[in-house]
This record gives sequence, structure tokens and C-alpha cells, in this order.
Amino acid sequence: MTQTIAEGLVETGHGGLIAQDWNALTFRVNREAYRSAEVFQAERERIWGHSWLYLGHETEIPKKNDYKVRTLGGKPLIFVRGGDGVVRAFLNSCPHRGTVVCRDESGNARNFQCFYHAWTFNSSGKLSALPGDDAYAELDRFKGSMDLRPVAKLDIHEGFVFVSFDPDVPPLLEHLGEAADVLSMAAEQSATGMTTLPGIQRYGVKGNWKLAVENAMDGYHFSPTHNTFVGYLRETGFAVTDDDQYAYDLGNGHSMLVLTGHNGRLGMLWEPRFGEAEKARTEANRKAMAQRLGQERADTIGDASRILFVWPNLLFFDLEALTIRQLEPVAPGRTDVRAWQYVPTDEDDEARAMRLKTMTSFVGPGGLATPDDIEAYEAVQRGIEASKGDSRGFNDWSDMSRGMEREAKGEKGRSIDEGAMRSFWRHWDQSLGKVPGVTATSYEGGNE
Amino acid sequence: MSAPTVTVTREQAEDFLYQEAMLLDEWHLDAWLALFEEGGTFEVPTTDYQGWDRTGGGFFVLDDWDLLKARVKRLKSRKAHAENPHSRTHRMVTNVRVIRGKDGIELKANFLINRFRDHTHHTYVGRYHHDVALNEDGELKFLHRRAYLEHELLEPGARLSFIL
Ligand code: FES
Ligand SMILES: [Fe+2]
Repeated sequence: MTQTIAEGLVETGHGGLIAQDWNALTFRVNREAYRSAEVFQAERERIWGHSWLYLGHETEIPKKNDYKVRTLGGKPLIFVRGGDGVVRAFLNSCPHRGTVVCRDESGNARNFQCFYHAWTFNSSGKLSALPGDDAYAELDRFKGSMDLRPVAKLDIHEGFVFVSFDPDVPPLLEHLGEAADVLSMAAEQSATGMTTLPGIQRYGVKGNWKLAVENAMDGYHFSPTHNTFVGYLRETGFAVTDDDQYAYDLGNGHSMLVLTGHNGRLGMLWEPRFGEAEKARTEANRKAMAQRLGQERADTIGDASRILFVWPNLLFFDLEALTIRQLEPVAPGRTDVRAWQYVPTDEDDEARAMRLKTMTSFVGPGGLATPDDIEAYEAVQRGIEASKGDSRGFNDWSDMSRGMEREAKGEKGRSIDEGAMRSFWRHWDQSLGKVPGVTATSYEGGNE
Repeated sequence: MSAPTVTVTREQAEDFLYQEAMLLDEWHLDAWLALFEEGGTFEVPTTDYQGWDRTGGGFFVLDDWDLLKARVKRLKSRKAHAENPHSRTHRMVTNVRVIRGKDGIELKANFLINRFRDHTHHTYVGRYHHDVALNEDGELKFLHRRAYLEHELLEPGARLSFIL
């Protein structure tokens, strides 16, 4: 490939792992970003250690003393509603000697007892009993200092619970910025509220977490990758199009695709495969929504599908139905995924069955579409070994230049361009900076 | 008038499930689909399954008849990228039992499926609970086919792009 690089026009990122050239209108990411153990470790510390992270939804722990255990950024946590009804998150690690305190996945418990030396904590985290406490000097002070360790920050927006391990993060709403309203739009879809259902799709992927983000923000892959699913939609009488669909940079690393051509939306926009009963339901629902929220807001919510990425670990799919997906990086080439169905609480059984069937047909490791996405990012992870250490210029760089010309002109980015990926990577680069010991192959010196 | 009592022996049930396993391992998907009564369903609940029905919670697979046909059509296509090339699978079906309930006949069995692809190997362990019927020709057919995984989660790479 021939490439002319005018002095000063190439901006390599802080760490040298991204390279954008506003002259040639190219944007590239060095593949070490997906492979390197040092990059992964730096991400753990600088991104996972200092951002707001999506922990879970309040409705997962509806009753007092309900709890779930969950790992975020490699840290085992207890996500619990205390006896006082307050939602909290604790490190799942005994203040005594570090044992995992709660070894069940989920349940309802007034107390957590560490099995090792039998210290007991109540569901609000307070150390309530410790055997043989006469051996401690200044017992009250000592006991008072040994409660379960809470995460540094916890805040809730529309039932979505976020935590941070850094006490100095900006307020949650400030971090969420424009993404907050997108979550609100989802929450407003039912007058009686929305809830998560039990039955989490939990699966691991042999790919870097950033490939999962890219995939969700990449409308370009939809037709070729999901050829068989698009075929199924066509057969059910649904015309699929890429027209008039856009990508948005929401700031702070968040981004969104707004789609009008891919999906019918249960309760919002009818399509033939949903059947006649759903048609009447949808009409009634839209009318009620307009009365409740005003016509304009109801139309904004109901007329378009959205795929939202909330930096760094939440993907929210407001498509045919709604799915919450959480990413947990485990290693450079391995990501754990958890996905929940997010549903209106007041839905009747028939509508609910339709919703679950419809969403399951598409998303998840057993759906008709997601397995091909997983195949794509696993194949990337395998394929990028080919150019590792290759000194011939551009070989070890992935290209995300699509639509950069429109971006340079200040035009609206299309969902089938790569603008949402570029804004993600720019934020990633800013958050990560230079990683010691990691050098990208040089951006210059392209091989013809 | 009550329905005539039908009897299915364990041997019949085993033959049926062994035949199915062979068809799936050899990727004869049309023949596999023909093991269903028209209108049949196929379900795989998530690994944290607590007994909910099709309105109650998450599934990995929740196919009605249309989706089941779409799944087979998709898997036969070269554009089913997740299964192109196909996984090699090797199934063991054991502990087969025939249960006669008031709603008909249920076949229960344990399964162990070894899957090989991309030079890696995954093992899927679980139970089958299938509602079946005998048709006029005396053949067993699936009404509702269900595969329950014993796993806590699907480990990396262990997606369900093939038929479980
Ligand atoms: S480590 Fe938990 S009580 Fe000792
Ligand atoms: Fe996709």
C-alpha cells in the first residue's frame, strides 16, 4: 500500500497504538492493543480501576437481603440489597484474611458468614459476630473497623447500578452524559416500569473485550456476517435496510447506533413475524405512551432501535426487544459476557413469550445471529497473530478508516461507517496513554 | 373418550435417541428436522435455569416451529459462519428413561457431547427432557425437545452454534 504522510498530519495516540491521519483520511489501530498482556494489565489498572462500571440492575435484587455475586475488573463482588432496602456492593473478600465470603452465586441471606473463622456480616456489610472476640484489644474499635469493604462508589440511574473502585470519579450522571437519557428512554417504555428477568446468558468468548465493543458499534458487518439471519427476516416479510441509520459519539467513550431499518420493535413498531395479536397491542401501547410522555417523546423512544455502548463495560440493545450485556475482560484474548432480558413488568404472558422468543432468536450464543458475531471476533483474535512483530510498516495495523472523509467534513456518521469505533478508540487511547514495554510496529514505512 | 394408552419401550426410546444423535453428528439436518411433529419446539434454557417456562426467563434457544426450520436452513447454509466449517461433534446418550405422564410420553436421558473446532475441544454435559408422540405409523416424533445444560456457564469458545 502506498501512503504519503505529510509532516504533522499524522496523530499517533499517546501510546502510539492508534494512528489517525487527517490528510490521508485513515485511522488505524495497532494489533498489540488486542494481544498484549501489558496493555491488558494497564487497562485493568487505568480503565477498570478508575471508571464507573456497570454492575447490575436493581431489579435483580428486588427484596431485602437478596444478593448476587459478580466479578468486575477481576474483582469478586457481592451485589446486595441490605435489610434496610439499600443497594450496596462489597468486595467479596473477608476483612479478616481475605477469604471469599459468599460462595453462592445468588440468594437471599440476612447474614454472610465467612466459613474460615466464622466471622459474620449482616447484609448491610456490618461485622455482627466474631467468635472468641475476647482475644482482641479495644474490641469495639476493632470490630468497627472490620466491616465488609464497600466499593469506593455506587450510584444508580433508572435502576442501572454502577460502581467505581476509584473514590474520585466524577458524579455518575456527569460520566453518563448523553447516555443517561438513552437509558431513560428504555426505562420509560412501560408505565409500570421495567425489570430484568432471571436467566442470564453467561458465556465466554475467545476474543479481546474491545472486539466485542467494536462489533456492537459496527453496522458495516451486519449484512455479510448475518446473511442467514437477514434471510430469515426477509422470509418473514421484513425488508432490511441500512439506509438512514447513524452513529453517534456521546462523549466520555460512550457511543450509539440509531437504527431505523433493521428491526421491528415489540410493543413499538409492528412487523409481520410478530403476528396479529401483537399488532393491536402495539397500537394500544403507542397510544398510551403518547398520552403518558407526550407525542414527541413517545415517537423518539418508539420509532428507532438503538445500540448503546456505555464506557467501558455496558452494551444496551434496544432492538426488537431489550437486552443488557455486560463485558468482563478476563485476559487479552478472553472475555466473559453476561446478558439479561430487560422487559416491561406489566406484559401479559403471550406478549412476554413473543418477546423472549424474538430476542433469543437473535442474541446470545445459541441465537441465529450472535454466534456469527462471536465467530468474527474469535477469528480476529486468531488472525492477528499473523502480523505480530511484522516490521513491514502497515501490516500490523487494523483499519477503521471507513467514513472518515464524511467525518472530516463534519457530516453525520452512518451506522455502516466506522466512526463509532474511532470515537471509542480515541477515548481508549486517552484513558490508557503510554504502556511501558509496548511498542507498535512503526506506522510509517509502508510496504509497497 | 379417553385417548388410547400408548406404550413406548425403553428400547424404542433408545433407538430413537441414538438415531437422532447419529443424524446430528453426521449433519443430516433435514432428516433430523423430520424427527419432529410439525409445530414442534426446541429449547435450551440458560445455565442458571430455575424451572421457568417460555414466559419466565432467559434461554439460549427458544425456537418455535418457524425458528426451528430457520435454524436448520441457516445451518445448512455456507453463510452460517459460526458453523462454517462445521464443528465435529460426538454424542453419547445414556440413562434413557421413558416416563408416562398425564400429558403424554416424556423421554429423559443424559447427554455428553464433545465438540471439536478451531483445534480446540469443548464438552457439553446435560439432560434431555423431550415430550414425544407416536404418529400413525408408530414412529416416535418430538413435540417439545429440551436440552438442559449442567454447566455453570459456557466457557470461552463454547457457544451453541450447533444443535445441542
Ligand atoms: S478469613 Fe474470614 S473469618 Fe477469617
Ligand atoms: Fe453482529
